[in-house]
Amino acid sequence: MGDADRRERTGPMGKRLIGRRDFMKSTLAGFGGFFFLPQIDMKQEFNVVEAKGKEKKFAYRPLGKTGIKLPVINMGVMNTNDPSLVKVALDSGMVMLDTAQTYQRGQNEGMIGEVLKARPRDAFVLATKARLPSDQKTGLYTEEATEGAFLKKVDVSLKNLGLDYVDIYYHHNVWKRESALYEPILKALEKVKKEGKARFVGITTHMNEPEVIQAAIDSKVYDVVLTSYNFQQKHYAEIRDAIARAAQAGLGIVGMKAIRAGNRQEPTVKSAASALKWVLQDPNVSTIVPGFTTFDEMSIDIAVAENPLLTDPENKDLEKVASVSGLYCQGCRQCLGQCPEHLPIPDLMRAYMYTYAYRNVVHAQETVLSLNLPARVCEDCGQCPVKCSIGFHVSAKIRDVARLREIPTEFLG
Amino acid sequence: MDQEALIGSCLRGNFEMKKRYFLKGLLFAYLILGWIHPLWASDSNLKTFTFPDVVGWRQSGEIQTFNPETLFEYINGGADLYLTYDFQELKVGEYSNEKKASVIIEVYRHKTPILAFGIYSQERLPDADFLEIGSQGYIETNVLNFLAGSTYVKINSFKTGADDREILMTFAKRISEALGPGGALPSILSSFPEEGKKKHSEKFIAVKFLGYAFLHSAFIVDYEVSGMKFKLFVIEGVERSDCRDMMLKYLQQTGNPAKDVVEGHYTLSDPYHGDIGIHWKGRNIWGILNVNDASLRSKYLELFDKRLQERK
Repeated sequence: MGDADRRERTGPMGKRLIGRRDFMKSTLAGFGGFFFLPQIDMKQEFNVVEAKGKEKKFAYRPLGKTGIKLPVINMGVMNTNDPSLVKVALDSGMVMLDTAQTYQRGQNEGMIGEVLKARPRDAFVLATKARLPSDQKTGLYTEEATEGAFLKKVDVSLKNLGLDYVDIYYHHNVWKRESALYEPILKALEKVKKEGKARFVGITTHMNEPEVIQAAIDSKVYDVVLTSYNFQQKHYAEIRDAIARAAQAGLGIVGMKAIRAGNRQEPTVKSAASALKWVLQDPNVSTIVPGFTTFDEMSIDIAVAENPLLTDPENKDLEKVASVSGLYCQGCRQCLGQCPEHLPIPDLMRAYMYTYAYRNVVHAQETVLSLNLPARVCEDCGQCPVKCSIGFHVSAKIRDVARLREIPTEFLG
Repeated sequence: MDQEALIGSCLRGNFEMKKRYFLKGLLFAYLILGWIHPLWASDSNLKTFTFPDVVGWRQSGEIQTFNPETLFEYINGGADLYLTYDFQELKVGEYSNEKKASVIIEVYRHKTPILAFGIYSQERLPDADFLEIGSQGYIETNVLNFLAGSTYVKINSFKTGADDREILMTFAKRISEALGPGGALPSILSSFPEEGKKKHSEKFIAVKFLGYAFLHSAFIVDYEVSGMKFKLFVIEGVERSDCRDMMLKYLQQTGNPAKDVVEGHYTLSDPYHGDIGIHWKGRNIWGILNVNDASLRSKYLELFDKRLQERK
């Protein structure tokens, strides 16, 4: 159990005061309580790097038991095909580049490969990823997903990158335990490592993260986890706990989607730096790979690598943003199975979000109509048994948004 | 009454009594405030698009639909780039046949044909096997992608064996027919000088061109002359003042702050990109990257100028 957990669970006399989850879910103060970790958790190694002729002092952390040490901020390359940006990132002291075979159909890997040609192999850490065909609804692999197919993808990545090996090869975008433990891919990953095509193997998850992280621990195959982790995730406490267990088991943790919540188009914090620093307060996170696309954004991220401590005003900024919500379902899926009528609650919450957050009534109606809801919705149960993880009054929101069925489509079109 | 209250009121109140207000409210918002996005206005063909029947194949599973808020569930980290190209909606359909082969079709709709071209151009390889379908397409084993107006279609096949190409072509044709006329590639591409141009290397960058937030969208093309590789680009401003602002900011960025700027030729020492030859005229800024030879820079900027004039 981490210090933060101990602090929340016990008073000065060691007496349990209040459950951490209950506390956090019920009050903004509780939410803010995680924002500042005690100083002991902030200990980190600072390494001096030469960057563009200037000496910079970057915070470094070890990547689990891999033996790799990384600056706390590195580059997610997914959003740019500009080699100059990648060159400058490396020249400025960043070390790891994170890409994927799917990004621009391999051209992102190709562009990075061109940049890396001129650099010594030990001057950078390259991480890339691939996944195989799966059922989008269940998250489970289809029969086309074979060991051979994954190995072929690894070879394609190496060819695109022009490298003999990568430092980390990830099993990409997993949100089900069964998929994280899917044997053909585990076998492929072990083979990739054995053949020296990847020094380490990992798994990436954007959804249902705690389950996937636990599976990664249980597999004893993965060395690294790349996970969504940000202050707007209402299930961040569960993610943090899973990360702590993974770190304890020796896995390296890389954070992503730190600035954007993963389902928003625009950053919702005034200062991207605050969001990055919030993640880095968790000492079990080795590094973050923000996907900057401008030199100005990169400068902000470099400043975080130099000084990752979250300040009081930055913390207040985050608290403000965190309290605004109320419209956004977090997609935790904990409600599934709770409804006696088996209503598709996450989809209905999405329709609610379209209506009130995005003000797109047309899309909200399309969503509601596509769900084939029964004629009477949330009118006959009396007490609704659904307990939303972020406290939504689910039945009220469903009743509200279900009325969209009554509006003739042509009125909206 | 604010917009949210208006929607809430309409949903909660008696529908028959309030529908008139609701409709008026929607129209008002649509015309004046613009908060209901004209999802289909830019591309009416996709509004009526349905996945077509294909002889010998049956549709398996339900059609999946993703929007800007949910795209990441389908393509995760790749979604961010699609969003910068104003992605609007994705429909995914799956077909299978008796031989257990399957075909998955993804139809991405973007706000405009230029934005759809932009994301298509990011994923297109210049040496691909190109096809005349929609605005343009290409085929490789198990993959056929094509652009049609503001839609970008990606077809993936599985277990199709020796018939793969034929199957992909059949599906592409049926989808293309269902989408309607494919339109053409952005007309400004024809203004790029031909000499040394690398075919099919044209790209459209939707935002933050050259890594600067103040430079918005640009078309950029690869060139190779006598073994020397370089790039030409053009930025189309909304109006002249738009280009003037970009030039002023770029001058500032490159250590040449000015109160005003006049149209004409500039050589900027960009700290990240090296020397850039650049020319501003009216609502166009065009330039050349990765060339140290000043005379070659001038030559291409002039060639580009002529081609742009011809376009007008």
